[in-house]
Order: sequence, then C-alpha cells, then structure tokens
Amino acid sequence: MSFSGEMKRRTPIYALFAVLALAAAGGQWMLTRARPAAADHSTVVARIAVPASKAEVPSNRPPGYRPQVATGVVDYHGNAAGVACMTCHSTRTPNLKNGIAGVVPKDFHQGLAYAHGGQSCLSCHHADDYGSLRLADGRKAAFSEAQLLCAQCHGPQTRDYLHGSHGGMNGYWDKTKGARTRNTCTDCHDPHAPAYPQWTPVFAPRDGGARQQATREAAHAETPNASHHD
Amino acid sequence: MIETPAQNPEPANEGGMTRRTALKALGATLGAAAFAQAIAPLTEWTDNLTIDEYLQKHYKEMSPVDMAMVIARLQTETKEETGVDVHIGDYRPQPGVKFGYALNLSVCVGCRRCAKACHIENNHDRPSGNSYIRVLEMQKGSLDLAKGRVNYDHAVPDKEKFYMPVQCQQCDKPPCVSVCPVEATWKEKDGIVVVDYNWCIGCRYCEAACPYHARRFNWTKPQVPAAEINPDQGYLSNRLRPQGVMEKCTFCLHRSRQGKLPACLEACPTGARVFGNLLDPESEIRWVLQNKRVFVLKEDVGTQPSFFYFFDE
Amino acid sequence: MSNTASAALARHGTSYARFLWKAVRDATDGSAWFYAWMILLTSLALVGLHAWAVQVRDGLVVTGMSDHVSWGLYIANFTFMVGLAAGGVMMVIPAYLYHDHEMHDLTIVGELLAVAAIVMSLCFVVVDMGRPERFWHLIPGIGRFNWPFSMLTWDVIVLNGYLALNLHICGYLLYMRFLGRKPSPRWYLPFVYLSIFWAISIHTVTAFLYSGLGGRPLWNTALLAPRFLVTAFIAGPALIVVLLFVLRRLGGVPIGPKPVQVLVNIVRVTLLINLLMVASELFTELYSGGSHTASGHYLFFGLDGAHALVPWIWSAVGMGVVSALMFLRPGVVARPVWLTVACALAFAGIWIEKGMGLIVPAFIPSTLHEIVEYSPSLVEWQIMAGIWAFGLLVLTVALKIALPILRQPHGEETAATSDCVVTEQPKARATHA
Repeated sequence: MSFSGEMKRRTPIYALFAVLALAAAGGQWMLTRARPAAADHSTVVARIAVPASKAEVPSNRPPGYRPQVATGVVDYHGNAAGVACMTCHSTRTPNLKNGIAGVVPKDFHQGLAYAHGGQSCLSCHHADDYGSLRLADGRKAAFSEAQLLCAQCHGPQTRDYLHGSHGGMNGYWDKTKGARTRNTCTDCHDPHAPAYPQWTPVFAPRDGGARQQATREAAHAETPNASHHD
Repeated sequence: MIETPAQNPEPANEGGMTRRTALKALGATLGAAAFAQAIAPLTEWTDNLTIDEYLQKHYKEMSPVDMAMVIARLQTETKEETGVDVHIGDYRPQPGVKFGYALNLSVCVGCRRCAKACHIENNHDRPSGNSYIRVLEMQKGSLDLAKGRVNYDHAVPDKEKFYMPVQCQQCDKPPCVSVCPVEATWKEKDGIVVVDYNWCIGCRYCEAACPYHARRFNWTKPQVPAAEINPDQGYLSNRLRPQGVMEKCTFCLHRSRQGKLPACLEACPTGARVFGNLLDPESEIRWVLQNKRVFVLKEDVGTQPSFFYFFDE
Repeated sequence: MSNTASAALARHGTSYARFLWKAVRDATDGSAWFYAWMILLTSLALVGLHAWAVQVRDGLVVTGMSDHVSWGLYIANFTFMVGLAAGGVMMVIPAYLYHDHEMHDLTIVGELLAVAAIVMSLCFVVVDMGRPERFWHLIPGIGRFNWPFSMLTWDVIVLNGYLALNLHICGYLLYMRFLGRKPSPRWYLPFVYLSIFWAISIHTVTAFLYSGLGGRPLWNTALLAPRFLVTAFIAGPALIVVLLFVLRRLGGVPIGPKPVQVLVNIVRVTLLINLLMVASELFTELYSGGSHTASGHYLFFGLDGAHALVPWIWSAVGMGVVSALMFLRPGVVARPVWLTVACALAFAGIWIEKGMGLIVPAFIPSTLHEIVEYSPSLVEWQIMAGIWAFGLLVLTVALKIALPILRQPHGEETAATSDCVVTEQPKARATHA
C-alpha cells in the first residue's frame, strides 16, 4: 500500500484525534473561565478584629465613676453616705490568695456571691487602687470600662456581642434610620458570679393543642408502666 | 314503591285543589319556614360586611387612592368597634433590602418572652394566647423535633436541654404561596411572605402546606381588649384581623420596613436573635451567616428558609 | 340567527321549560314512603344548614379543628365524594367502550351519582371555607385564580367541568326522552368518552392536592393518586350496585344480573389492589422507620399514648378484607342480601380509610412533631349529615326523573312507558332507544 494510500485510509483517525484534542483544549479553557473567582476572605478577617474604640461597647457607669460601699446612713445634705474602697483597703496588705477557689474572706464583703473561675479578687481589682480595676497586664482600668476586663478573657463572646449575636439590642436594625441601644456585659452578668441566672418562663402556650399534649403527658407520667406504642 | 302519576290517579277535584296539592303546599310552606329558621344565625353575621369590603380588590391591584380609602375605612371600623384610634400604614418593601433572621441556640434560654412580645405587638387573640412563635424545649444532642416539647414549666435553661423558637421562616420557595388558590399570600421583594386578610378565602391549604407550623387561622374573631390594642399597625401585618382568614409572622414589617427591630428581638433578654438586611455586607446577620455554622430547619424539604439557627460552640 | 335556528331555539325554549316543570313534578310526586324519605332528608338537610349558619356566624372554632389539625371531617368527606363521583363513571367504560348494551341504559345511574357526588363535594368545600362569601375571588378574570401553580385551582376546573359534563349528558338524554326523540350521538357521545378521562383526572388532581405537599410525609407519596383511583373504583361501583338493587326493587326497573356482574367483577379486583396498597404503606412505615413515618405509625399503631385513629383504620382494613372475601365468592350476584352487605362494608371501609384515615393522620404529628388529636364536633357531624342528606335528595330526585329512561328495556318503546310523550307532545315519531 502506498504512503499516500495509508494517509487516505487513516485520515479519519487523524481527524478524530484532532477534534478530540481541540475539544479537550476547549473544555479546559471553558473550565478556567467558568470557575468563579475565589471568595475574598481578607475583608472578613478584618471585621473580626477587636474594636478600635472602647466606646463601641456601652457602659452602665458614668465616666470617672468610683464605687463606694453603702453605709445606710445619709449625710446632712440627705445624700447616702458611702465609704470609698481605699478607706479600708489602704490599711491592709493586699492578699493575693483571697478569692482563689471561690474562697472569700470570712469578715468583710459578707454575702458576696463569688463564682468566677476561681481567680483571685486581685485578678480584676487593682491592689494599689481599689477604686479602679486591673487589666491583665497590670494597667488600671476605670469601673466605667469594666467590659474591657470581660473582653480580655471572653473573646468569642465579645466578638459575638460586637456583631450583634450576643446580648440583644433595642431600636433599629437600620442604623441610618435610628439609634440602637445595647446592654453592657454587667447589665446581664454579675461580674462576681457571671453565670447567667435561670429564668421562669412566661407565656406558657394555652392553645388547645398544647393543653391536649399537657394532659396526655401528665397521664403518661402518672402511669410509667403503661405500654408504649412506639 | 315509587309510583308514577299514571298508576296513581289523583283523587276527585274539589274546586281545582286536591288534597295532595294542599298537602304539598302546606309542606312547602313549612319547609320555607324551617329554612328561614335554619339560616337565621347568618343574619347575625352579616353585620360586619359592607359592600366596599365585599368588593375590595386584591392588594396588588389597588391604586394608592384605593389603598387610602381602604385604610380609612379600616381605621374607622376599628374606632367604631373598639374606640381606639389606630394608625394603619401601608409599608412597602425598601429597595436593596432582603430580611434575614438568625437565632443563637447557645444563648436562647427558653424564657418565651419573644412569644409574649409577638402576642402583644401583633394584636393576637387574648383567650387563646395565640402567637406566631412556638418555643420548643429540645434534647441536647439531637435536632429531632419529635423529642421537643412546648409545655415546659420549670426554670430555664435546663442543663440537658436547648431551646428553639420556631416562627415563619419566610422561605425563598414557600410552599404556602404555591398552593393558595386566590393568591392571597405572596412573597414580597424584601423576602417577607405576606397575607392580604381581605382577600383570603380561608381554605387553609397554606396551613396544610407549611412544613413549619408557621401559619395561624382565625377560627373565630380575635378578641383584644381595647386598652391592649397596639395602635401602630400595618395593613399586611398586625392590624386587627377578621374571622376566617389566615395570618402569619411578618417579621413585624410595620416596624422592620421602617428600620426598626422586630418585637421578638427586642424582647429577648439574652440577645439570641439577630436580624437585618442580608444584602448589606456589613450587617450583623451577614456576619452570622459567614462566621457561625448556621443551619436551617427541614432543609431537605427544599423551602430555602430565611431563618437560620446556629450554636456558638 | 337564521329563521330555522331562531325558530328551533324558541321551540326548545318552551319545551325545555316544560321539561323542567315536569321534572319538578316528578320529583315531588310519589308514594307515602317517597314523601317520608324526602321529608327525612329535608329535615336532616335543614339541621345541617342551621349548623352551618352557626358556623359562619361564630367561626370555625365551633369545629374540632385547630392550627395543628386544620383539615378534618369536611375535607375527608370531600375527598371521598370526589372518589365516588369518579367511580360513577365505571359503568360508562363497559357500556360505551365495550358496547355492553344492557349496561348502556343504566349508565345514567352512574352519571347521576356523579352529579350528586360532585354537588356534595362542592358543598363540603364551601362549608370548610373560612370566608365562603369570598368565593368570587376564585373566578378567573374577576378574582385572582392562581392557576397553574395551585392544585386547588386545577381541582376547581376539573370538578366543575365534570359536573357540567355529567349534567349535560344526563340532561340531554332526559330531555330527548321527554321529547320522545332519539338522542343524537354527536350531542352526547363525545362527552361520554370525555367523561371517562375526565373522571380519572378529577381524582388524580385531588390526589395531587395532597401528594404535592413535601411537609406532610403521609401524603407525599407517589402511591397516593393510584390509591385514590383504586378506592374510587371500589366505593363507586359498590354504591351503584346498591342503587341498582333499589331501582329494581322500588322503581320497577328491569335490571338483569349482567350489569351487576360487571360491577362486581370490577370491585373484586380493586378491593384486592387496595389491600395490596395498604400493605405496601404498612411495610414502608415499619421497615424504614424514621420521623417521616410518624404519621403512618400514629394511624396504625398510635404514637406516644395517642391512639384515637387506631381502631378506625383497622376496622377499615377489616372491612376491606371481609368485603373482599365476600365479593370473591362465586355466584355472589345471585345473593342480593350478601352482596348488599359486602357493598356496604366496602363503602364504609373506604370512607374511613380515605377520609378520617388519610386526611386527619397527615396532621398528626404536626410539622413541629406535636401530637394533637382531632375529633369532630357536633356541628361538624350535623353539617356532614346535612350535606349527605342533601346529596341523597339530589340523587333521589335525579333518579326519579330518570326512571322513565331506566324502566324502558333496551330496544322497546311502548305507550305505557313513554307516558310523557302521550300527555305533553304530539304523536312521537317511531323511535329506537
């Protein structure tokens, strides 16, 4: 068989290979085009960052607030007379062991419920100035900035709070239309025993269906040996 | 035996009236009287039905003038019936807004204050304690709704339980909208599925179709004491509904379409609820969807809800 | 309009009016038993009407329904009635498709049953509506008709179409009989053939109403439409057999054993197929389990202490089995009492299975898996009794009007049976039935 004869016979096969190669190339080209651009996550990361301004988290104390112990006595102006923390604490040596494992001193601070991770009182209260709070690196923080202390350890909750999924809000979802009010951490969590308290549920369902289920559940509970149908 | 007249000749005529005819006439008269007596209760019902209300057009076909007249009529009727001056607004979807709602199951304590707030905000029937929100006490470790209970009565949260409020999911593929024979319910541009209470015929097909028990039917005329009526009302949301029509959660569109938070969210003491505009990349709801592991209920049914659930841990 | 056409219209106008008047007279004339029956039905219908008026005034709160079980007795009966209407066509198939001449003249019984059943199903829908006065919202063009998305709109079309179809067929045949003329095939035959397919469609569409709902697993099965059709072809023929017996006994209609045999043959098969389908459902519940079988579990075995429907469904299954065995007995056609009992059992069994045994359990447990049971209130039973009575009224009146056709044996036209011809019309032309 001559070479040109061979070529003629094999032309269909060569043509097929050419078509397949073109199809593969075309498909490859189409795939690269059709693939969507990878999502840009860099801006998302930036949004999780800690707030630049402490003012983003509202406070439930006016700036410059320093706590006082209530004495139950009023001064001659009629204002409740209080005792500054340093009045007593300046006479004593700070005891770093107080508060650890939940043990509070038997005298003073009676009735204080303390259940906050078993830390020393002086983890959060400043040993040199009991009228201020103490950040983890030893710096002072004002009582009106108490939420900074929470944020030091409870990062996820702080992050969630800043993004609206913890702690609730009142007002407007659309901040261009109106204001929004938030609680601060200590509005809901007692800083000394911050575990969220239990609630009594309100508004029990009283529609016919709920009542029917309640009756059946009660009957079921009374006869625990009743045969089950499931 | 059934006889034909040919086989049972009529008795002799007496002045054109036969006994049979007389008896028939008597029977017919008695029947008519019985009929009138039977339908007598209907006369007590038509008190509330005016021609304007009967012939009212569908919401989507009303011009602004029609709408204004309808609202004026409704406000007047409410004033006459309850003595309360209400304001009914026709709040329209805002452009560039699609609402999303998320619920933090790690934070919800099951206090049901959201259900109560809904009840008050939406002028729900007081005797039945109706609310669009139903809170389920679920077993930890399981998302099986069959293990959920609504009748829990103890201090919450119980350590072994978590709490899941369920309300209308404002689905993107709402089965309730497809089945309505008269288009009394439809999905608006901002994602809220609404009901035109003056168009609904009360067939309850949508209630059968909804996979989330989100729809409520007015089995009777809702009763709200005048002092407790919420006067800030929307035509498609919390105005006083008539008897015999369907209703559902509208994400408080009379509030949310003005930029305000829904009543359930404001009532939540723990902040388990997150609401906002899904189309705004800076919104809290978008952050939740992108950073929390969200899921939806009954995803396999294919309804594509706009209501998301998530746990913190 | 041409002279001949307008003259024909004028003639028909007056004779049709006379036909209607005669129909009214036929419907209000009879023996003492007939009057007693009609008065009983009317009283029941009025009781139902009153109950409905109370329901319209006070709202559907007077029923046993709730947001958990939002469809109940009314829709259960509606579903059953649509099936009965579809089953009425069962006589048409052998008569017209297979040229069974003995059956031919009796098909009007099935068609009139279909008319009464459709009227009843429409009544059940109206009493279930929260705002029945807003029915006009359904009218295309005037209201907003959500076709083709809502299966209810398809149902509205096919049910009303089926009603119109059967009214036309029966009305035309009766009117022609009244005029003493032979019915012209082109005015009723195409409609008859259409009604065969249309009957299948009404019940398939009704099944699709339910089977298209993904949130209701008990309904969301491909088997639902076939089950509906099979049960329709049990209940329909069973009732027609009883109607034929009644007509033979009380109406003096000569009915041989063949039409009854045809119907019995159909029911023998469909009863068994239905039992197979029930078994198929049971297997799926028991074998696969999981929460989407909860409704089936509730229906057949109860769930978490709730078991109100268990006796119902097993009674229905028992009735199905017993009636199947009774139907299978050779020579059952020659035993009218046995056959009537078997028909009654089959009919009642299907009513339970399709009505309370299908509509209600789909809502239990609810979509949030709350188990809330349902039992109809007195108002619901009264309205149901009222609509049944009204339907029987319609059927009695219709059959009474149709008696002259039914009494006339195939191929014979005598002066004795064509009474209307003698009194109302000039001498009729020689006709062949």
